[in-house]
Amino acid sequence: MRRARRGDREAAALLFRRYWRDAWRAAFAITGRQSLADDVAADGFERAFAALERFDDRRPFGPWLHRIVANRALDLLRAERRLSDEELPDAPDSAPSHGAGDRSLLSAVADLSLERRVVVVLRYGVGMTPKQIAEALDLPVGTVNSRLARALEQLRESLEVEHVE
Amino acid sequence: MSSELERRLETMLAEAPEPDPGAGEEALHWALRVLQPVAAPRRGMRTAVLVFAGAVVLLVIAAGSLAAAGALHVSIGAKSKPPPPPAPELRLPKGANGVAAIVNGQLSVATRGGRTQLPASAAALSPRALYVAVGSGDSLVALAPDGRRAWSHRAGGKVVAIAWAPDGFRIAYVVHAGRRFVLHVIYGNGVNDTPIDRSVRAVRPSWRGDSLAFAYVGGGGRAVVYDVGHESRRVVAIRPPVTAVAFAPSGDALALEGPKAVSLVNGSAHRQINSASVGAFGWLNGRLAVAVPGLNSNLIRVFAPDGALSGSSRAHGIVKAITPKLVVVQRGETLVAGHTTLLTVPRSATVRDLQIG
Repeated sequence: MRRARRGDREAAALLFRRYWRDAWRAAFAITGRQSLADDVAADGFERAFAALERFDDRRPFGPWLHRIVANRALDLLRAERRLSDEELPDAPDSAPSHGAGDRSLLSAVADLSLERRVVVVLRYGVGMTPKQIAEALDLPVGTVNSRLARALEQLRESLEVEHVE
Repeated sequence: MSSELERRLETMLAEAPEPDPGAGEEALHWALRVLQPVAAPRRGMRTAVLVFAGAVVLLVIAAGSLAAAGALHVSIGAKSKPPPPPAPELRLPKGANGVAAIVNGQLSVATRGGRTQLPASAAALSPRALYVAVGSGDSLVALAPDGRRAWSHRAGGKVVAIAWAPDGFRIAYVVHAGRRFVLHVIYGNGVNDTPIDRSVRAVRPSWRGDSLAFAYVGGGGRAVVYDVGHESRRVVAIRPPVTAVAFAPSGDALALEGPKAVSLVNGSAHRQINSASVGAFGWLNGRLAVAVPGLNSNLIRVFAPDGALSGSSRAHGIVKAITPKLVVVQRGETLVAGHTTLLTVPRSATVRDLQIG
């Protein structure tokens, strides 16, 4: 990290290779689209590298990068919403690699609001703690916990309704 | 229920796809571009560097003396690879917001906000030259004038032609995907990419002045006008193959270049306005200008949007491009626009996507 901060390209490339997959998967989890995940993750790294000098290297790089990626993904999704005549599908797209056996859950996650979906995918898809999510999204931990609880409640209700039907 | 639900969520989200390796390499390239330069060495290190530099200078002086005396043959860099020629630096014409050109595959951009250079397969300035859209690798990239990347979109192939709508809201671009050229439209902020036609020619589209439609050359060399509002297309009744299209800056007039003629379509009326071979054509101050090649100079014939000849003049050089307000002429090794020498390049250099915004 220290070498990368001094502008060492090899060290920066190592850092990139170590975190690229996680950053991309976080971007995909939020945007639900591979092409958008490519752009968001790339943009996240670009912004992170441009700001490396300001990064406090006593803290872990991963959550800081995820914060940038998550916020960039949210910005892009919101911009798309504003620009699109129609409401965009607020959900992971029909990526075939998603568990075909859990389509009901996938569909329920797709129905969550953007704010709730983001905390769900960062918690269960990326494995971040509520505290890390709170830092990443610049929210109080209580808000993250409450969004998670409400999202789980909504998912549970959706799945129950489907089961009854 | 919740813990079971949480396990299901983890399992489902763990099945997310893996990133494409190509996307990673490209992202790495762009990320390294913004890496800050190495910080200045500390004092102790600086002293060591100065001592080393002094020693090198003394060695060079000694070697030079020996070489001058014939006692030592010096061959510096004989085995090293010659550096690539620097991309020519463009000069901004007076009154222009920006100028861009790709010379031998290297894009040069000069705007009021800065200048940048990079390898590119296609380029288009945004309105008022606030950004430049660039074909870079397999991506369409928007760069700010200082070279910073505003956004990037994976195009899935080499981008060969780009046209930015006059209102800045959309970009039409042609990408070489497999054996075909595919036309796409994307929003000016890099989102909402939509394929429009999966078999087109590698020709730059041209936007109508109101930004609600653009012309392109489809499969078979036919000119097509695509209406972005109604998502409809209309084939222009001009005999193919069409090799270039240019909408007038206002109104519906559309100029089309064929192998040996320029035609003007205005509503349902169309007429062939030039039967000689064409060097360059474009809209100049709202009129259609057609350069007819001569030996050392070009005749520029100017037509009103209804096709009536409204004048002609002789360019002092070979016309390379006709931009909305300036004609770019090659004189020897210089490209000149108005009173500004844009750049100096060898005659053999390939210059494309030359634009003044």
